[in-house]
Amino acid sequence: MSARLSETGAPAPTGEAYAAGSSRRIAARLRAASDGGAVELVDRDDGAVLARAPPETIRRERRLGGLPSIVLFPGGWRFLSHDHDAVDALLGTEGSDRLHRWEAWRPQLVLVVALAFVAAFAVWRWGLGALVAVAVAFTPDALTRAIDEGHLAFADRTLADPSGLGEDERDRVRRVFGRLDAVAPAARSGAYRIVFRAMPKVGPNAFALPGGTIVVTDELVRAFPEPDVIAGVLGHEIAHVAEAHGLRQVYRSLGTYLLVTLIVGDVGPVLDDLLLEGGLLLSLSYSREHELEADRIGVSLAARAGYDPAALARFFERMSAGDKGGGSSWLSTHPPTGERVREIRRLAEEIGRSGG
Amino acid sequence: MRFTGTAREYFGIWIVNLLLSIATLGIYSAWAKVRNKRYFLGNTTVDGRPFDYHARGAQILIGRAIVVAMFVIYSVASTLSPIASLALLLGFAAIVPWLINRGLRFNAAMTSWSNLRFRFDGSYWPAFLVFLLYPFLAVFSLYLAFPLVSRAARRYTIGRHRLGEHRFAFDSGIGPFYAAFFITFVWAIFGFMLFVALVAASGMAERFAAAAQTGGEIDGATVLILVVVAAVWFVAIFPLGTIYAACVRNAIYAGTALEGGHRFESTISPPRLVWIAISNGIAIVVSVGMLLPWARIRVARYLCAHTFLRPAGSLDDFVGEAARRQSAFGDAFLDIEGIDVGAAV
Repeated sequence: MSARLSETGAPAPTGEAYAAGSSRRIAARLRAASDGGAVELVDRDDGAVLARAPPETIRRERRLGGLPSIVLFPGGWRFLSHDHDAVDALLGTEGSDRLHRWEAWRPQLVLVVALAFVAAFAVWRWGLGALVAVAVAFTPDALTRAIDEGHLAFADRTLADPSGLGEDERDRVRRVFGRLDAVAPAARSGAYRIVFRAMPKVGPNAFALPGGTIVVTDELVRAFPEPDVIAGVLGHEIAHVAEAHGLRQVYRSLGTYLLVTLIVGDVGPVLDDLLLEGGLLLSLSYSREHELEADRIGVSLAARAGYDPAALARFFERMSAGDKGGGSSWLSTHPPTGERVREIRRLAEEIGRSGG
Repeated sequence: MRFTGTAREYFGIWIVNLLLSIATLGIYSAWAKVRNKRYFLGNTTVDGRPFDYHARGAQILIGRAIVVAMFVIYSVASTLSPIASLALLLGFAAIVPWLINRGLRFNAAMTSWSNLRFRFDGSYWPAFLVFLLYPFLAVFSLYLAFPLVSRAARRYTIGRHRLGEHRFAFDSGIGPFYAAFFITFVWAIFGFMLFVALVAASGMAERFAAAAQTGGEIDGATVLILVVVAAVWFVAIFPLGTIYAACVRNAIYAGTALEGGHRFESTISPPRLVWIAISNGIAIVVSVGMLLPWARIRVARYLCAHTFLRPAGSLDDFVGEAARRQSAFGDAFLDIEGIDVGAAV
């Protein structure tokens, strides 16, 4: 931060000065020394020289709003003045004043506002997705496998009991799984695998973990003996793994949280919460999108493996017959069942026609 | 105290900060923070002498990078294994007092008035007591001991601050803290009852059940009811912290002294401050954030206009030392996790 001494006889900026480590305010003036080699800080009352330094050792703080120009002498003296032009004339302007010019209340500020909106939209629409895609691509397989193990171990301690299925029942599911695996896109971490657990509190269902582990509950196998339905459900879970939906959701909510806290900063006690809850609602909408995508891919997997693509719809219908009520379409992680069933039927018909 | 900032001037600073922060995916926000703080402190004067903020953007960026890394490690660990995340959380809690002390120390050392730096001298165990143990124990008193905890925290944070060589001190009767607690409590109960009554009266649950049954869309009336109920919830529950802070502010300033016999006074009206906070929130939402600078200036102006230093003598004779450079680690932690210990200086 060097400053350059301008011609002598430049106007002398007036202001106030403080010695290093002192609160005493002294009316002061800045001037070029008569020998021309230095800048002097002079007491306006008695003319005493408070500080004297070659201009290249004098620092200036960046200009900010209507705040005074701040001049720092090497000995710690601090000089504040609103005679900005006079200070500039004496010490030279700093190259760093560009920000200060952009911040000024002028028509060009409208451009900054417009750019900010465009940038915010771009980050929300594409930037976050791109960051998530990069993070997913760089996630090591060892990590996703470890996530699977961790979750399975946790489930075993809490919700899950060892499976009570017989070998014949398991083989029936494994055969379906084998045919799906043969037509499925490659798993992230090598291979899909299937594990069985009894989960009376969860009921008939299946879960996909990001490393390729698919958990099938005993209740599912017993409630739905028909291989077509099992194929629909497993196809749906395989699709979750293949599209890395779990990882994407973790990264997206992490990224949203970080960007909101970093960029928006402190907006006040009420709105901070509002913004973060808003982020949560948005992540729910992604979760619903992922469910629909998994339905779509799962249905086509089941069809390619030779099963009835519409069977997944039967699963949803039977499941929702048991539970009345439920959530609205935007407070829920899963889309409404009716919507999904209609969509699955439509897809199945499409596949039927094209495969004809 | 006087505040000389204007909404028009600050809007430009804020929007340029915002644009650069977004364009750099948050990296510039460290420099933005410095410009922000410099604007507000530089425009605040006591007896004509301004405050200033001296941290460098790079310092804050490094601190934030460390905090973000910790956050990511914690998140990954919690997806890996809930047990590991619990262990990490406990380890985290153990360093919280140290982090808070670092944050307060960094902030104090980076803030100056006239040409004097502030200082904060924390120590681990007192911070452990007021920020971890007491709040934890207060849970068992059904939060009835919360005012005592809150006063102890003020005593610690204010009493450990100095302006140059001159110590701050804080002492206060417990009365105002309990009064504030009571008012906040009544507001919460009243708001919650209003919320429950509205939910029941509107038949919202039935409407949702009906919508889920038909698998169809939610009609306009339901959305309207939902918006009203959500608004009641926000007004009832979210400003609780603000209400408490507004009610105790005058007592905190009245109880604060600066070595040499200097006293402080705050004459804010708590209802007025709560109104400012709530109406600010509404203005910001309605204006898609564009009134945020105006809202911040409005708060700063109101607070400064109602805060006074009652000097016992000349303000010329404070002396102190130049600040040392420190890492920004603890400071960023206070920033990101939103732990507000509310030092009232």
